[in-house]
Amino acid sequence: MPLLNRKRLCLALGFTAAIALAACSGPTSEAAKSSAMAIKEPDGGTPKRLRLLTADQYLNTLAYVFGPDVSPETRFAPMTRTGGLLSVGTSLGGVTDAQMEQYQKTASAVATQVTNAGNRGTLVPCTPADAKAADPACAATFIAGVGRLLYRQPLTAARSKEFVDEAGEAAVRLKDFYAGLGVALEGMLLSPKVLLVTETSEPDPKNPGRERLDAYSYATRLSLFLWNAAPDDALLKAAESGELNTDQGRAKVVERMLTSPRLEAGMRAFFDDMFAFDDFNNLAKDNSIYPVFTGVTAADAREQTLRTVIDQLITKKKDYRDLFTTRETFISPSLAALYRLPASPGWTPYEFPADSPRVGLLTQVSFLSVHSHPGRSSATLRGKALREILLCQTVPRPPANVDFSAVENPPPNLKTARQRVGAHLSTPVCAGCHKITDPMGLALENFDGAGQYRDQDNGAPIDITGVLDGKEFSTVAQLGTVLHDHPQLPSCLVKRVFSYGTGSLTTAKDKDILAYLDARFAANGYRLPDLLRTIALSRAFSEVAPPPVKTAAAN
Amino acid sequence: MKKYLAPAVALAATLAAGSSSAIEGPAAALQNRTIAYVLSSEYYALYQTKDAKAECPTGFNDGPREQFKMLFPDDGTKRTVVDTQLAREAEVWFPTLKPEAFPFKEAQSKIAPGANLDGKVGPNDFTSPTGEPGIDNQLYRAIGCIYNYRDGGELWIITTKWRQQHNFNRTIIELTDVDSLVNDDDVTVTTYRGLDKLMAGATGAEFLPGGSQRVDTRWGKEFIYKFHGKIVNGELITEQGELVLPEMAAFEDPSVLPYRSAMFKLKLTPEKAEGVIAGYFDIEGWYRQLNQGWATHHQSYGQESAPSLYRALYRLADAFPDKTGKNTAISGALDVKFTQVFVQHPPQETSEAPAKKLIQVAH
Repeated sequence: MPLLNRKRLCLALGFTAAIALAACSGPTSEAAKSSAMAIKEPDGGTPKRLRLLTADQYLNTLAYVFGPDVSPETRFAPMTRTGGLLSVGTSLGGVTDAQMEQYQKTASAVATQVTNAGNRGTLVPCTPADAKAADPACAATFIAGVGRLLYRQPLTAARSKEFVDEAGEAAVRLKDFYAGLGVALEGMLLSPKVLLVTETSEPDPKNPGRERLDAYSYATRLSLFLWNAAPDDALLKAAESGELNTDQGRAKVVERMLTSPRLEAGMRAFFDDMFAFDDFNNLAKDNSIYPVFTGVTAADAREQTLRTVIDQLITKKKDYRDLFTTRETFISPSLAALYRLPASPGWTPYEFPADSPRVGLLTQVSFLSVHSHPGRSSATLRGKALREILLCQTVPRPPANVDFSAVENPPPNLKTARQRVGAHLSTPVCAGCHKITDPMGLALENFDGAGQYRDQDNGAPIDITGVLDGKEFSTVAQLGTVLHDHPQLPSCLVKRVFSYGTGSLTTAKDKDILAYLDARFAANGYRLPDLLRTIALSRAFSEVAPPPVKTAAAN
Repeated sequence: MKKYLAPAVALAATLAAGSSSAIEGPAAALQNRTIAYVLSSEYYALYQTKDAKAECPTGFNDGPREQFKMLFPDDGTKRTVVDTQLAREAEVWFPTLKPEAFPFKEAQSKIAPGANLDGKVGPNDFTSPTGEPGIDNQLYRAIGCIYNYRDGGELWIITTKWRQQHNFNRTIIELTDVDSLVNDDDVTVTTYRGLDKLMAGATGAEFLPGGSQRVDTRWGKEFIYKFHGKIVNGELITEQGELVLPEMAAFEDPSVLPYRSAMFKLKLTPEKAEGVIAGYFDIEGWYRQLNQGWATHHQSYGQESAPSLYRALYRLADAFPDKTGKNTAISGALDVKFTQVFVQHPPQETSEAPAKKLIQVAH
């Protein structure tokens, strides 16, 4: 074995040992912590990306630049989920004519709102000498300020002049300075350099022969990662001043971003993506079977989980794994009816009692209802989601000739889901996959397709015992604990957060950096803000690696 | 009674399991020996046959328009508005018991829903559709042949609709000291006015159990009443007591439905309570809500002549005589459906608490 490879193997084994130690003795183990902290950060970066802004990133940026009142009603085309994340899909595929039309409508609406009589006094920082004529000086002031924030870096003099000329020509034709300004703003909002994030690099003076993201690209990657929006003025200033090119400067900037209220929006976007909550956009339940599950319920279920996550991980800075054992959450009147609880109007904190079957995210209505059929629960979908979303495992698709009749038209003697899916286990072609999805999915059978508690299925008692990767459980609370202690639970989050932040699929080449991040995450007690800081300040985040020759299956 | 035993035992077992606050499902409705329901459907308790021939053999009563036409036929006579329209309008607001020319058609059926309020079986009493004798429901005689109150009539449709839509009308009953929804010889029923909308299902066609209602202890104080009762074979039967129900109908003009004496008789499940609120309506109060709550057109479309009905109410009144011996209340019942709801009482603040707070601030 070549020396280099042998070293890598030892390093990887060292990481594994550190993770195992941390997992066994908990985050308070000083030995594990110091062991993990001693691990050297591996070399290597991530590829430069060309990414399309998501609708939320676009709207969050507009809200920062123009204020929350400028909020066009728009819905961009959905992205392709790639490697478990929609955000990674933003760097794949192109922009269709229909999408461009949507962008144009949105840009037009924004330009109209910004320059209308009610807003121009606030949003345009100067007053033209004649409101019915061109005013290049005033137009240049507006375009320089807004253009820097929209383009995520200062406009070049040539580009700025083009927009000023465009605004002037339109003002003359339309006999309206603000109408002309609106035309220029619409053009900026439609620019590929605004809609697409183009990461650029420069030679890294600290590592001759290697490239790093330039300061503006780093600022944008950082801002999309932590805030789900384009950089703010202070971040751009840090890029302009060179602060982002120093370790100390970066640490200061990242700390500011992690303590900003905008981190909540960023992390809501991440978990909405990781948990595949875009599925809520198409979620429908059979009204005759689940009359209590309305459109409001679905929206509130999504919100409940996101609120719980933000409260636990950002506000209270708790261990990520505790999300699956916590009884703390928030309740709205619509959800309370499903949980059979009293509730006040709005959202209120709530803690399920110790003997409640509700414990952790798995037992929240969001997970239970999204991963079910319209009219019934699904042990298979829930088990598959648990493995794919939370453990980053891959469950193969069912074979094309699968026979669903045992589930869809079950014999009357098969009353419970366990009995119905049992048919799969006796069919060799099905058993391979169902053995890895159904045992933990069946543990959630105490909750119907809408997420309501039940203790019987078709009059028969429900057996929720099962096993997850060798760990047995007999209650849903125990399933939460088994999942909490599953070594792949935190490493899956690490993988997803890293992939989300860099906009890249993780590949075998990222093995070392992921192992490093795993170890640091464990050493820091599985606290999300610490993970975000480690990733944002890692070399892998700011240095550029050549793009992979061919895309490897990351999952 | 043997035939009730099996379901009763099953339900009792379910409810016993539900006494823990941690258990979800319908059984969770009974928590801390308490269960509450919100009024979601309300009609006057009438016995109606399909063609009405059994109870209204000569047809339905005339309403304001028909009576006006009879009084003032289009025969070329010159009349003033004061003598015609305004005179009739005044009779609505200043009714008398003087005999009038219009015949009044009372319901003729011997069957009527309701309750035996006086504990007797008298010649004017009805037999319930389930065979219980001695039912006191003279209001049925008065309004049973008025189209307004019958299936499809104007008030039949919108009384319950506006009960559902207006939060002013939100009526809650909370049962406390409940050991079992099947048999319990001593429970307390308290009525409240709620503050929140009813919880509709995904189809919008039904109201679902499990919603929440905050109690209005400020403006809703006048609707808080207590009743003692018992549950027998799943049916709540309370003692009689005073009761006023909020009853806002048209044009955001609130009124109330006053019982001089009322009782609840409701079949209970963890999800709903159905039956009657029977009692003696105060005639003056009942008549006021009719005219205050409902507009002229409701009475016209529903063929309900208020002055004629006023005479019938006193003619059929059967309780609460005044000093002269004239009865001032009439027996009747509302056919009601309640849906289980979780009640939220405002936090209790002791009288010392505000003072303590002030002291803390001062220090």
